[in-house]
Amino acid sequence: MKTFLAVASILSLVLCLVAPVLFFLEILPEPSFKLALLLASLGWFFLATNWARYWEKPQA
Amino acid sequence: MTDRLAKFTSAMDRLYEFDREPVSPEKLQSGGKFAGLFAGEHVAATEFVIGAFFVLHGVTARSLLFGLLFGNLLAVISWTLVCAPIAVRTRLTLYWYLRKIAGPGVTLLYNIANAFLYCILAGAMISVSATAVGILFGIRVPALDAILPSSAGWVAIVFVLGAAFTTMAILGFEKLSRFAQVASPWIFAIFFAGAVAVLPKLGVEPNLANLWETLSTKVWNGVAVGGQEKFGFWHILFFAWFCNLAMHVGLSDMALFRYARKWTYGLYSAFGMYPGHMFAWICSGIMVAAIGRQMDPGLMAFEAAGAAGIGAVLLAGWTTANPTLYRAGLALQTITPNWPRWRITLLAGSVTTVLACFPLFFLKLLDYVAIYGLVLMPIGAIVFTEHWIFPIIRVEQYMAEKRGWTFNWAVLAVWLGTLAVCFLLPIHLYFKWLPGWFIAAASYTVLMAVQKGTGRIKERSRAGGESGPASAKGESR
Repeated sequence: MKTFLAVASILSLVLCLVAPVLFFLEILPEPSFKLALLLASLGWFFLATNWARYWEKPQA
Repeated sequence: MTDRLAKFTSAMDRLYEFDREPVSPEKLQSGGKFAGLFAGEHVAATEFVIGAFFVLHGVTARSLLFGLLFGNLLAVISWTLVCAPIAVRTRLTLYWYLRKIAGPGVTLLYNIANAFLYCILAGAMISVSATAVGILFGIRVPALDAILPSSAGWVAIVFVLGAAFTTMAILGFEKLSRFAQVASPWIFAIFFAGAVAVLPKLGVEPNLANLWETLSTKVWNGVAVGGQEKFGFWHILFFAWFCNLAMHVGLSDMALFRYARKWTYGLYSAFGMYPGHMFAWICSGIMVAAIGRQMDPGLMAFEAAGAAGIGAVLLAGWTTANPTLYRAGLALQTITPNWPRWRITLLAGSVTTVLACFPLFFLKLLDYVAIYGLVLMPIGAIVFTEHWIFPIIRVEQYMAEKRGWTFNWAVLAVWLGTLAVCFLLPIHLYFKWLPGWFIAAASYTVLMAVQKGTGRIKERSRAGGESGPASAKGESR
């Protein structure tokens, strides 16, 4: 589960980076880019928050 | 009065008791931890404002790039050569090291000054977040020269956000810190996304052939917006250098580097500086140019990245205001002994929220950052001098601790005197701290060396049979 969450989280973040590049290259129209960015962002927060449960507890 | 001061200082000591002892070898951290910590800490809400202000101040593209490159390099060098070596040698926080040098009274004053400065910084972060929420309700950001709140709507948003941030800081600082770790890489991604997405609007072609030309004519074109001072290479270099002055030259990050295995771990600060204080500032500069150079971080991020952009401004403000409120609370707790954590956070949050209503702090953020570093810089110079210079010139170290002084008046005089001299120096605010550092170091050395001479004369006169009640005078300082 930890590996799945890690991979899926990172993929969401990569999508956040790729979406504007696709828009810049005129492959994605602006509304699709903004929607993709929003969905990838939501994905990142959902997945990474769950992934974070496995992280080492930070030092106080 | 003495009793009250003793009560304050003992309350303060109890607060910091957990890190009183030097860090033991088994608690030392790896370099990767430092890299991660710096990378996460330096992508904040203020990055949306700082990079945008450079555009408004009419800096040229070349000055910006070289200024940021060398300014951040100087910041990394300051962490590596000034802060980390002292932290690694002492394994103490600045709080406990300063206490040995300046006495608990001066340390208390330092804490109060720090708390107030933290509140203003957190206030600026709330204001930045308010610009994002303002878009949803059609509330305009105050004008660039605004000092007082521009509308009831602005005040209402700031109060709601301030109350929300404070409540969440009270309810779960730990959980929010974990959430901030999750948010940090995403905020960085939104900076990138926003900047790339507005490039077509600025006229950059997909093959990037005219990228440099566009950036140097439409973004950093060397023309300042009306009412804004023109900035050049040196302004940018010094800003990037002093942006975290309190942390490196001011030695606050001793708290962090006392866990470093080697002083060279200071170099890991580059992981915070170059992505956060170079890349993110460049991105926000590109975004502000795309909205016609208006200082409105919320609108800027919304136009560039849509709803995700608004979320980024809001979360960047929230996740960075949270630890700032916590630090302000911790520092304020020294003057409110026996108050529970929630009450002190509420106080810090209330002060911060009121300050956030005044757009002055967010619209004059660059000047505030300079003042913040300048105010705390003399303490860093004093600690540096005591640590490195005194053993060389054979001036006794840690006199305040050894003789039980509550106030080392030399420290207080040098601190306030340096600030007064810096205020009068006829140079730009951004450049004042550097001569100020040398003034503080030199004057503290002279004052303490003179004190040492006076001490020797007293000791000789005591040894020569002229002892009397006055011989104990030094001990009661």
